[in-house]
Amino acid sequence: NGHRTASSDAVTRTKILLLGLRRAGKTSIQQVLFNNLPPKQTFYLETTMRTVKHAFDTVIPLEIWDCPGNITVETLGAPLSHFSTMIFVIDIRDLYNNPISKLVEFIVAAYRENPNMSLEVFVHKAEKLQEDDKIENFRQIHERVSDRLLDISPEYEQIQLNFHLTSVYDHSLHEAFSKVLHKLVESLPYLEDLLNVFCANSQSPKAFLFDTTSRLYIATDASPVDSATHNLCCDYLQMLNSFGSLYKSATPHSRKPLPFTPPPSASSTSSLSPVPPRSSSSTSPGTPTSSTTRLTPHPSKDLFYPSAATSLHPSTPGTTLTYHLITSQLALLALLPTSVYEGRRGLLEFNVVFFREGVQEICEVEKETRDGR
Amino acid sequence: MGASGSGKTSMRSLIFSNNPASLTARLGATIDVEQNHVRFLGDLILNLWDCGGQDAFMDSYLTTQRSTIFQHVGVMIYVFDVETRGMSKDLEYYRECLEGLQQFSPDAAIFLLVHKMDLAREPKNTTFDKKKKELQEASGEASVTVFGTSIYDESLYKAWSSIVHTLIPNAAVLSKHLTTFAGACSATEVILFERTTFLVIATSSPLSPPGQSGSPVDDIDAHQLDPTRYERTSELIKAFKHSCSRVREEFHSLEMELHNFTAVLDEMTKNTYVLIIVHDPTIETAALKLNIRMARRKFEELQGDSLIS
Ligand SMILES: Nc1nc2c(ncn2[C@@H]2O[C@H](COP(=O)(O)OP(=O)(O)OP(=O)(O)O)[C@@H](O)[C@H]2O)c(=O)[nH]1
Ligand SMILES: Nc1nc2c(ncn2[C@@H]2O[C@H](COP(=O)(O)OP(=O)(O)O)[C@@H](O)[C@H]2O)c(=O)[nH]1
Ligand SMILES: [Mg+2]
Repeated sequence: NGHRTASSDAVTRTKILLLGLRRAGKTSIQQVLFNNLPPKQTFYLETTMRTVKHAFDTVIPLEIWDCPGNITVETLGAPLSHFSTMIFVIDIRDLYNNPISKLVEFIVAAYRENPNMSLEVFVHKAEKLQEDDKIENFRQIHERVSDRLLDISPEYEQIQLNFHLTSVYDHSLHEAFSKVLHKLVESLPYLEDLLNVFCANSQSPKAFLFDTTSRLYIATDASPVDSATHNLCCDYLQMLNSFGSLYKSATPHSRKPLPFTPPPSASSTSSLSPVPPRSSSSTSPGTPTSSTTRLTPHPSKDLFYPSAATSLHPSTPGTTLTYHLITSQLALLALLPTSVYEGRRGLLEFNVVFFREGVQEICEVEKETRDGR
Repeated sequence: MGASGSGKTSMRSLIFSNNPASLTARLGATIDVEQNHVRFLGDLILNLWDCGGQDAFMDSYLTTQRSTIFQHVGVMIYVFDVETRGMSKDLEYYRECLEGLQQFSPDAAIFLLVHKMDLAREPKNTTFDKKKKELQEASGEASVTVFGTSIYDESLYKAWSSIVHTLIPNAAVLSKHLTTFAGACSATEVILFERTTFLVIATSSPLSPPGQSGSPVDDIDAHQLDPTRYERTSELIKAFKHSCSRVREEFHSLEMELHNFTAVLDEMTKNTYVLIIVHDPTIETAALKLNIRMARRKFEELQGDSLIS
């Protein structure tokens, strides 16, 4: 793990501070989200002794500061005003004085120096407790922090704190961190608009724009997020990521635009001519009649954008979960009625292209404003 | 068979009940023999006997229950915990089971699983090889197949695919037809999975040696595909099926046009799924799906034949 600092590259990175007592799970969170570390492997992580700055590029360039447990406002090495977000990680079983005091101390300092900073509390390792205890501990931590703040000054009542239950062993961490991220993406309303338009035009009940490697969602349409659907999309992405390399061929096959050669007798509507497999064993192997099913290549496609779809129910009206790569790191995941996916493919593809152009434009603008700063 | 705690019930619940590995920690010791009938490939019914491994049960299998346990055995799977403290006792029981098997089911296939490989001492390969040698020596004349397995990775699917393969009467015929089908699809390869377990039943075989022209099938050797791809596919699909069931959906089919290949996974027959892998970028998934639809009847017939014979 190198110390990648912002000064090494020109862009202005949005900084996120990751704080908490030692063994709270900060490094685990960072590694599971941004380094694809399997959750079980976090067991072998060593204690962080010095602040490690991790750069991560998605819609916006991020820099995540993984701090050692004993850090203070003074030893941080940068003024709190440099950070857009502070995430304080607290073990769900830590109901005691020490972690809570430390948390309150940072909140007060952050609020004084930078009232605009988002303050997030990850009540972590939540999967360790049974449902009832989980809720009860979560409530107590929340209450103690609020009480403590009020004790210091009544003025602190107005501090906006966001609490999340998280665990590296399920999707709660991804969902919580996605919500943290949303507050940092200035172009969020435009992305949401594009998603709303896509959903309306494609009859999709839910669509997400995901970062493919971290599996955090950058934006979603206006309909409420149901955790089950979110989790399914995360799992789907993970499966596709793993499949991608599994059948990779050592001999490169070009996905670049192919020379456009019209098929011998092609009318514009029926270039599809599937051939059934030879069905009887009487055919000798190698007869040239087993011709192939070929379609004419898409004309003038500059780039190849991977896509996938999985049907989630055998009968109608079933649901299909689609995946379309939008930029090199963002993908659109959408739930669609299977009838739309199968019956109106052209319309769907058109909507995806429209959506892709919109998102790419927004990303360009984001990039330009940053470079210009 | 295998010592208590070696992981027999865990692997059964992963392969046949679609449970995730994390839930196996809740399993209690198996009391006596748990019998399970699993419908595999439709009309082929596997009768699984999960034999609780505590000493008292083992002693009774080898004495009073001897004929019941060892008669009509098609396959014996003996599970060894890789880091067991009592290897000599395990081996003693294992040898006695071998004797019982030779007495009542001399034709049974024997699989030995060196299990919990995720916990094995590094370097894992060396640990496994040592264990394998020890087991082969203990088996004497009997011919045995040894696998290293863990419920936390794809190794379990590799071992079990190989085990069920011995039970499918004419896997070779299936393989031959899959090869023809692959040719019709211009596919690099085609893989047939059992529907509920997602174990590999058969694959198309690479047709032409390099340089030989005229074959419609891409030469698979030239692609140098990942050697663990079959079992990893089983593992990936099983995990995703589980995700679907958590939201009360049912996984049905999958199509992908990724950077490196195009693939379609869909129902072939009532009891099987087929995965077609294509590296020719001009082939569209819609055409592959149509080919599957047209091949269905033939494969239903084949499957019927294979079970009657
Ligand atoms: N680390 C690891 N643990 C495993 C693995 N397989 C099973 N276990 C664990 O081993 C323990 C015992 O597993 P069981 O499946 O109940 O063992 P069993 O062989 O059926 O035991 P009996 O029924 O008493 O004969 C469980 O806590 C499992 O979670 C593995 O591959 N790796
Ligand atoms: N049960 C559970 N353990 C976790 C979770 N996140 C982290 N851990 C464990 O907590 C320990 C400390 O994690 P680490 O990331 O090194 O903490 P840090 O000192 O805050 O960076 C490790 O043993 C992790 O495996 C979680 O969500 N659940
Ligand atoms: Mg058991």
